[in-house]
Formats: sequence, C-alpha cells, structure tokens
Amino acid sequence: MDIARDWKGYAAAAIAAAGCTLAGLAMKGRFDIVNIAMVYVLAVVIIAVRYSRSAAIASAATSVIAFDVAFVPPEGAFTVNDVQYLFTFAIMVAVALVISHLMEKGRREEVARARLALEAESERIRSTLLASITHDLRTPLAVLTGASSTLVEGGERLPAAQREALSRSIYGQARDLFDQVEKILQMTRLEAGSVRPERDWASLAEIAGSVLSRMGDRLATHRVVVEMAPDLPLVRVDAPLVEQVLVNVLDNAARHTPPGTVVVLRAKRAGGDLVVAVEDNGPGPGEHDLDGLFGKFRGGGEEGARGGFGLGLAICRAIVELHGGRIRAEANPGGGLAIRFTLPVEASPPPPVEAAGG
Amino acid sequence: MPEARATILVVEDDPEIRRFVCSALAAEGHKVVESANARRGAIDATTHRPDVAIVDLGLPDFDGLEVIRGIRRWSPMPVIVLSARSREHAKIEAFDAGADDYVTKPFGVGELLARVRVALRHAVRPASGEGALRLGPSTIDLVARRATRDGAEVHLTPTEFRLVGCLAKHAGMVVSHKQLLGEVWGPTHLADTHYLRIYMKQLRDKLEADPLRPRHFITETGVGYRLLADDPA
Repeated sequence: MDIARDWKGYAAAAIAAAGCTLAGLAMKGRFDIVNIAMVYVLAVVIIAVRYSRSAAIASAATSVIAFDVAFVPPEGAFTVNDVQYLFTFAIMVAVALVISHLMEKGRREEVARARLALEAESERIRSTLLASITHDLRTPLAVLTGASSTLVEGGERLPAAQREALSRSIYGQARDLFDQVEKILQMTRLEAGSVRPERDWASLAEIAGSVLSRMGDRLATHRVVVEMAPDLPLVRVDAPLVEQVLVNVLDNAARHTPPGTVVVLRAKRAGGDLVVAVEDNGPGPGEHDLDGLFGKFRGGGEEGARGGFGLGLAICRAIVELHGGRIRAEANPGGGLAIRFTLPVEASPPPPVEAAGG
Repeated sequence: MPEARATILVVEDDPEIRRFVCSALAAEGHKVVESANARRGAIDATTHRPDVAIVDLGLPDFDGLEVIRGIRRWSPMPVIVLSARSREHAKIEAFDAGADDYVTKPFGVGELLARVRVALRHAVRPASGEGALRLGPSTIDLVARRATRDGAEVHLTPTEFRLVGCLAKHAGMVVSHKQLLGEVWGPTHLADTHYLRIYMKQLRDKLEADPLRPRHFITETGVGYRLLADDPA
C-alpha cells in the first residue's frame, strides 16, 4: 500500500518501543515485570490499530527486544534464555497479527462500502438523468407524431389556419428536439474530455452580436439590453464554444422570466479577466441552491413549459472551465438572476500596421 | 425574378433530405439535378453545368470536399455546403476547398432558398465591385473610394476599403478568415485573425447603425464574415 503510511508506522513502532522502555524503567521495582510487559502489549495493539500489519510486526519485534534488553535479566543484554520470554514474544506477535488482521478487514469493508455507495449514487444520477431525458424527448415526439398524423390523415379537411398551426408546431417541436439531442451529445463529449478548444483571437462583442441575431426569435419576447465597454480586449478562445455559452445563458434567461422583462448582457474588463454577465428580471433563483443550477439536471418543475434538460448551464460551466474561466450564479440585487462568467485576458498580439497610400 | 429557372445540382446521400430540398427548389421553378453520392455528383456537375451546386459534406463514397475541389478545377459556380453542426472543422475545410456558403443541418427550407437566391445572383451577374454599396445608413463607392454615413463623408483607410472590397466581391456569401487575411494582408498573415477582429470593429463603428447588433457586417462565428448589402434601388 502506500509507502508513506508504512514508514510512519515503522517510526511509530520505534518511538512506542522507546516510550514503553522509559515508562517501564520508571515502573521498575514497584511493578512486577509481567505488568511492565503489558505496557508493551498495549503499544503493539495501538500500532496494529493505527498502522499496517508490517508496522505491527515490527512493533512486536522491537518491543520484545527492548523488553528483553531492559528488563529481562541479565539486563543490558539481548539473551533469550528463558522459555517464558519466548512465550511473551509469541504472544506479542500473535496480538499484532490478530489486531492488524481485524483492522485490515475493517478497512477493506469500509472501502467496499464507500465504493458501493458511490456506485449507487452515480446509478441514481444516471437513472434520474435518463428519466428526465426520456420525459423531455417523449413530449415533443408525441406532439410530432400527433400533429403530423393529423395532417397526413385529414389534412385537406382541416381549415387552412389549423393546418398551418399544426405545421408550425411540428417545425418548432422538431427544432427543440434537435437542440436537446445536440445538448446531450455536447455534454457527453465535454464529459468524455473529447472537446479540445481551438483558441484564436476573438471579440466578445462580435460573438454577442452574432448570438443576438441568431437567437432573434427566441429572444423576441424579451427586451435585451447590451452594455459593453467600447474598448474590450480581444480574448483567445474557441469562439463557437463561447457562442454556445452565450446562447445557453440567454436562452435560460428568456425561458425562466416572464415575457416583456428586460435581460441585460454586460461585458467589462476586471483585472486579468473579461467578465460577462447576463442579468434577468425574473423571479430569481428563490431558495434554490445557486451552484446547483450548473448541475447536469435539475428537478422537474424548474424547466418551465418549454422543457429542456437543464443541461444548458452544465455545458456552460464545462466550456468556461475548459477556457480557464469561472462561472457562477447570483441573486440580482434588483431581483432576478445574474449569471456571470470570466474569460482570461492574455497579452494582446501586435496590431496590424495600416499600409500607407493605396 | 431573373434568377428563376436555373439548374441546381443537389449532391446528398440521404433520400429524405434530398426529397424536401429538391421539392422546395422545384417549387421555386428551378430545374433540379439529384446525385446520391460524390462520384455521381462530380459527373453530373460536368454534364449538366448547373448554375449552383448544393453539396452535403458527409457522403458515403468520397468526402463532399472532393466534389467541391473537382468543381473548382473548372468552374467558379457558387457551391453551398450542407454541414452538421458538430463539424465546425469540416466547414472550414469546405471553405478552403472553395465553398461559398453553408447551411447547417437541420435547416429550414426558407434558409436554404435564401442562400440559393444569393448564390444565383452571383452566378448570373458576378459582383464586379462597380456601383455603390448601400448598407443601411451608409454607402460605399469602391471605385471612387468614398464612403458616407447619413449623407456625411466617412473616412475609411485603404485597408478598410480593401476589406470591404473583398467582402463585396462575395456579397451575401461567406468569406472565410483565411481568404480575407490572404487577400487583404497577404499570405504571411493567414493566422492573424485578430487583424480581422480589429478592422471589422472599426468598419462597424464607422458604418453600422448599431455596431453591437450589426446588420451588414455579419459574423459567421469560427468561419468568417458575410457582407449583407441592401438591394440596389
């Protein structure tokens, strides 16, 4: 097992033998030699309980030698001339073996129990995740099946407006379903460590602009205010991954706050970091565990009517940490939730030189 | 529409995807040539001489990139790539191979048709750089080297003009980072992406109504940029 613990055990055995000898010398004359031997037995037991089996045996051996030298006549010499003391030695070793065997067994069982508990926990997480995935996939699939079969079987008898509504709901649900499947895949890739960020110089303002235009429909229900310092430094990041973070955080804000409320997207430099924040004016996190927002799944009621696995923020955390940044959620002072993440700012590369003339 | 009744080649192995893409294109009045694999696609491209090619990147026999490279050996026809979202890298390779635009699966038909319309405009009348570009409140005359915003003169540096010119040559379509860096700063600066970040910000600050929500200098994150000019009046 680990060598450090073994060496500590041997050292403890030596110290214990020395300590017992000192105690024994103090007891000498007033106590019977057999009782002095008991002090050594106690030391061997303690070493066997605390350290490895080999340390226990070493303790038994050193104790017998020390005892023999210090107390068994002729004192000051190591002679095993009496069968009695051979017997003492045998008892000591037996005690050391029995105790350390019991302890090893106990430790092994403890490890096994801990492993079982861990397995049970990850099994529980897996089955909860599976249940939540199944639920969230099943609902849109049910809508897709129902709506499309209505169109297939009675399409021409339906009023045009209803046909259109059904088609639109198929389109919307299919897109949502794709997003969710994509999130599961992305989370799996991130967890497996197979996402390697391809860093290049990027402008956060630019990424944000692209996100806002890409998310047009999804953010149409809210008023998004962008507040960014005009002189933000460039960051060396994997831009598509950072774009994903912004999409997920903004999507989360739009999903959990009432339509018509304001969502603020801020970015500024703070020391060696670029700090990006998305603040909403929704009901906020309530009594929920703020750190738990970044877990792989959250309890049912929280996801709202549009579904979603709650994987979005877990993906954000993985991506931000992959870039050496941090992400956290806070209750907004004015109510609502603020999600803040940092991206490290590196020394800027040399700027281009404007060619003269042309 | 002058670009109606064009010939469009669709190289896509999945029959379901081919079906809806082709029916949407046919509904627009185009003649559609369908190929289910790369080999067939390369042959159809030479025999049918389409105006635009739509090429899926994940084909069963060869990579879609081979089809694009094959076409580029003899034709400047616009090529639109169909790519999966998870394959960012494949997208960049497609632009290196000569692709002009892309649509990420899953896509709505509206998105694809919009790309095809832009591509056809190029196929029919390749952008020559003549005439002024209209970009919302701003105009840029690349020949006279003049730019205005809300009627007032705006100073653009020579590099900024070159950058706009390069984007305008492919107006409406994607120009990759590498392509822009190569054309504006030269082959020794292909990896200096930060040049683009700095200059695009300058152009947006000078010409866009809201630089944080650009409507003309569009970012294609991880890939390149796209210039959306208003249609000439």
